[in-house]
Amino acid sequence: MESPKRGQDLPPFVKSWTQFYWLLAGWLVFLILIFYLFTQYFE
Amino acid sequence: MSYIDWGVLIFTLIVIVTYGIYKSRGAKNIDGYLLGNRSLPWYSVCLSVMATQASAITFLSAPGLAYSSGMSFVQFYFGLPLAMIVLCVTFVPIFHRLKVYTAYEYLEQRFDLKTRALTAFLFLIQRGLSTGITIYAPSIILSTILDINTTYTTLVIGGIVVAYTVYGGTKAVSYTQMLQMSIIFCGLFAAGIMVVHLLPGDVGFSKAISIAGKMGRTNAIDFKFDWNNPYTVWSGLIGGFFLQLSYFGTDQSQVGRYLTGASVGQSRLGLLMNGLVKIPMQFLILLIGVLVFTFYQYNKPPVFFNSFELNKLEKSTYNPQLNQLKKDYQKAFEEKQVEVNKLNAALDRQDKPAIDQQRIALKQADEQSKSVREKVKSLMLENDPHADVNDNNYIFLSFVTKYLPKGLIGLLIAIIFLASMGSTASALNSLASTSVIDIYKRLINKDATEENYLKASRWSTVIWGLVCIAMALYASKIGNLIEAVNILGSYIYGTILGVFLVAFYLKHVNGRAVFYAAILTEAVVCICGYQKVVAYLWLNLIGCLLVVLLSLLFQGLLLKRKLNIEN
Repeated sequence: MESPKRGQDLPPFVKSWTQFYWLLAGWLVFLILIFYLFTQYFE
Repeated sequence: MSYIDWGVLIFTLIVIVTYGIYKSRGAKNIDGYLLGNRSLPWYSVCLSVMATQASAITFLSAPGLAYSSGMSFVQFYFGLPLAMIVLCVTFVPIFHRLKVYTAYEYLEQRFDLKTRALTAFLFLIQRGLSTGITIYAPSIILSTILDINTTYTTLVIGGIVVAYTVYGGTKAVSYTQMLQMSIIFCGLFAAGIMVVHLLPGDVGFSKAISIAGKMGRTNAIDFKFDWNNPYTVWSGLIGGFFLQLSYFGTDQSQVGRYLTGASVGQSRLGLLMNGLVKIPMQFLILLIGVLVFTFYQYNKPPVFFNSFELNKLEKSTYNPQLNQLKKDYQKAFEEKQVEVNKLNAALDRQDKPAIDQQRIALKQADEQSKSVREKVKSLMLENDPHADVNDNNYIFLSFVTKYLPKGLIGLLIAIIFLASMGSTASALNSLASTSVIDIYKRLINKDATEENYLKASRWSTVIWGLVCIAMALYASKIGNLIEAVNILGSYIYGTILGVFLVAFYLKHVNGRAVFYAAILTEAVVCICGYQKVVAYLWLNLIGCLLVVLLSLLFQGLLLKRKLNIEN
């Protein structure tokens, strides 16, 4: 397990941490939607 | 368990411990021992944080919950991603910038020594007692399943954890947790595949979920707002958010995990990835429980899953009544099986009216089985008022030991040990950090050498380890200790979160105001708890809000007094 360089402080795939936070919030909304569809479909 | 299972279990435990000790050798100073020289990458932080939160009970309770009441428990974690965002914006950069070892160290820099000492002391009491239960709870379940004395399972779990945590410190904790989580994921995945494989030939994965769904077990989402229901979207988002924020932001067992990150970015990424992965992981664990539920629609489940309690009842004078209930249960199962087969056929035909009809018939048949189980539980309580009538934790393990192939049973039992060891190791490390950094180094021996502090950290881990093992052994003598410890946690968590929220967001409030607010709040919370004014879970919210409000009030009074003196 190599230690990463201290300068590498940007998140992967996106340009800033704020974008990553939005990505996570969007993921939560997506999961709630998927689970809702799952509940509706199988019940 | 067969020799193969024992072999797999022992081999897995040895590999984990050896790997952790090998990778963490050579900690020469307190920074290396308590924070791994702050050098770990994000994936290590992520897995460590997950392993700390996921105790053995998580992997035992969740499938059991899905079996008995469905998948609504997944909503409990909806607040976690939002809490991770707040942590990454506020807590993580501050803790990293100040290079603190413990969360409470920050409070001295923000307020004063007495506030730091008070919160550290409250944490030590709460975490010290609850870690004993973290060892005890899976020990008693494993002892039932493996049919060996609780003392041995407690000593094995406790002894192994203390050994590698004392030797390798936080690095040993993180490295073993990484491997533990990988094995846990693989084991659960294999268990999921095996459940589907064990279903009848004409019941595939999708149909198994459909059958469970028609019997009300795929209720993953509930948008209704209900104060009394802990598992709705709203209680998960709002209540879960505060709960996760207080746990990840103020509990040193979690703070210590993400402080090992090589930089603010690595700690942030570890926490955010935890936010991404946690909910799907919990959903999949619950899905295994749902599949086990469908499996038991075709194979008769025991009338009660905790064989220890059932055996006790069989040996009592209530045995004739129990035998009658077993016959009723058999009859209810046969009736249910007829309805399940009809539903299966209706699903094949895609006959919607027949499916709806079968759904109603199956729910009635399910209620009949549940009613027999409730009667068995009442009988158990009549026989022994202290009997443990909640068998949720035994459902999955009972299935594993009875139906899974040799080797996989050993692996899944190892998972329970590993999950317990992961959360216990983090707790011991955090107890040692707080004892040495916030008490010994700050109040008792300020100017000692690095070597002395390292030695003190190791001894502190040993002592806390022994205290927790003793607590776990003592827990078996007192029936309601688990609940007592949970109540104690609720007495303390809210106050600590309140102090941190004041520290971060109310910059004009000083140490004196927050300290007296915390003391007064703790007294009020204790009185409310003792008098049973509200259910004990609400004490968290009361404690947090009261500290914030009283801090503002006291700060206002102090300012007024100062102005009066100046005038």
